[in-house]
Amino acid sequence: MLRDIIKKEILETITSPKFVFTFLLCTILILLSIFTGISNYRAEKKEFDAALALNRKNLESQPSYQALAGLGTKINRPPQVLSTIASGVTEAVGRVATVNIAYDPNLVDSKYESNPVFSIFGALDLSFIVKIVLSLFAILFTYDAIVGEKERGTLKLTLSNRVPRDRLIMGKVIGGYISLLIPLIIPLILSLLILLVYPNITLAGEDWIRLLLMFLIFFLYLSVFFTLGLFVSARTSKSSTSFLVLLFVWVVFVTVIPKVSVLVASQLNPIPSVHEITAKKDAFLQQIQGSGQKEAQDWVKANSPKQGEDRKVFQEKFRKYLEDLQQSLTAKIDENNASLERDYQLRKSSQGRLAVNLSRVSPASALMFASMSLARTGVDEHDRFLASIRAYKPIFTKWANEKYMRTLDLSGTGQTAKVVLDDMPAHKFDAESLSKSLARTIPDFGVMIFLIIIFFAGAYVSFLKYDVR
Amino acid sequence: MLETINLTKRYEDGQVAVDRLTFKVEPGEIFCLFGANGAGKTTLINLFLNFLPPTEGTALIEGIDVTKEPLRSKDYVSFVSENVTLYGNFTAFQNLDYFSKLAGKRGLTKADYAAALKSVGLQEEAFDSRTRTYSKGMRQKLGLAVALLKDAPNILLDEPTSGLDPKSGREFLHLLTDMRDRGKSILMSTHDIFRAKLIADRVGFMKRGRLVMLKTRAELAGEDLTELYIQYMEELD
Repeated sequence: MLRDIIKKEILETITSPKFVFTFLLCTILILLSIFTGISNYRAEKKEFDAALALNRKNLESQPSYQALAGLGTKINRPPQVLSTIASGVTEAVGRVATVNIAYDPNLVDSKYESNPVFSIFGALDLSFIVKIVLSLFAILFTYDAIVGEKERGTLKLTLSNRVPRDRLIMGKVIGGYISLLIPLIIPLILSLLILLVYPNITLAGEDWIRLLLMFLIFFLYLSVFFTLGLFVSARTSKSSTSFLVLLFVWVVFVTVIPKVSVLVASQLNPIPSVHEITAKKDAFLQQIQGSGQKEAQDWVKANSPKQGEDRKVFQEKFRKYLEDLQQSLTAKIDENNASLERDYQLRKSSQGRLAVNLSRVSPASALMFASMSLARTGVDEHDRFLASIRAYKPIFTKWANEKYMRTLDLSGTGQTAKVVLDDMPAHKFDAESLSKSLARTIPDFGVMIFLIIIFFAGAYVSFLKYDVR
Repeated sequence: MLETINLTKRYEDGQVAVDRLTFKVEPGEIFCLFGANGAGKTTLINLFLNFLPPTEGTALIEGIDVTKEPLRSKDYVSFVSENVTLYGNFTAFQNLDYFSKLAGKRGLTKADYAAALKSVGLQEEAFDSRTRTYSKGMRQKLGLAVALLKDAPNILLDEPTSGLDPKSGREFLHLLTDMRDRGKSILMSTHDIFRAKLIADRVGFMKRGRLVMLKTRAELAGEDLTELYIQYMEELD
């Protein structure tokens, strides 16, 4: 009997106009999102490779190490292949940072910064389609699953036979879920095939695991709305009421909770603005430069060569002194900036964590966090990348200062040393490992599974007591 | 056989829908139940189908207490509602196939379904059409075909002829008399006095959950059923 009910559920859905509409729209949207994702990734990859070459060329063409230290090197964020599925924050945050001796590096030049029009509509990636469109389809498939049968009278007719209610609800759950998956699975398989055969798209073994986990979280997310739809359908006596209730809950889950969480977190845990931090850094820089200048003048006064003393010895001592002074001043500035930055980052991440944890009540937020973590396109990955650049800054400045001081022309001959980059330390960034990404997505999987269990149990119990009249 | 013993249904708001009702519908009998809206006719059918628990008393189908053995009792009863819609995306064949399987009738062939549909007078060209395109009369016939295939000894009908055109109504009554002649116990709630008079073996008038009058076909002979109905309803107000 269960098989008959499942079969009927599937057949009834796939012969309905809503199925044809859903299937077509799903296929178009999913394939469009994949093509858009691939196209964006390829463009970013091309841009990234070109930026690397250009940066090296720029550095090599600098007339001196002094110019190189001032100009700094550019660090570009490597594009993530799984941004084709979930672009995360990659389009909103900066893609390139300049590391020089003067300023703290920051990632700038985001895609939205280059073209603010993009920020109005956001990215049309698969995670967005699942979050918005497919969750609505899940509601569309279930809002009248029970109450609709009651309205049509088929529930009464069905239960006038020897049909246990628990079996009927199980049949509806299984059959309904299979019907919902059919319009998804076919375009998703097509998407995987496209990713597999598309030139210049290389997915490593770990990427495939990440991709499958992303699909798993997509299915769990849709299951949340599917079971919610059944639950509400089993709690209402009119399908129009069921649809309105579901729409309300959908709006709360998808838009209200994520936005309100950010507002609540910023009120509960306020942080200083970036401008305040920058002003503090600038004030310290001016103070340290002033004291450095005075110190150098005092040194010259105290150590100027007396008559008959060798001027070359003085010049050599002065160069050594300047090199040490420069390193010491830079270290002090870096230390102060790092301290300010550390404090700021700690408070910012504490606020961010609060917002994330508050918003996790919503499955839509959990979906976004999990898919971004798995695609390595989330805020955490951005922060890690920025931290790696900031960690690289003292390494680069030390190297640049040493080079600059060693090649400082104090003899006044006008000769400058040619810039050689062979021993320039490289910036290193290790993308987050799968185990760490997985650990961060556990709460998101947990939220989804918890909601599915609650809604399913609610639907099951409600249906056992449902007034079929 | 359908039977109630002191059957009572009192809702939570205190309203008594069925009040100490005791009666039987014998095999080979059509029992038509009249009453104004809210008189308790549909509640009685819902009690037989165990869609509602009784407050007191018992409803029995073939001697089986529907509260104690709800699933088993349903093997012995078919139900046809006022507005049979079935599954609109399915054809008549598909609907019959599904409901026959739910009724435990496995192994039926397309020929069996076609025979059932023919016997209820559905046009052959409609067998493979989606039932959402059916008229009300066609849907009621299909509902009866579902009941026919289940072949239960008892049939409950909740205002099955409302909204049917005269021709469909007459065909529907023929089908019911056929079933009666095959020994089924038929309980039909209805407002359709004219049609009921043609086929009923007994009629009962319900008011405020109570059976206020019972008359056999013989007792009804020569009586104006409409006048009788109005008279009883007014007398008891």
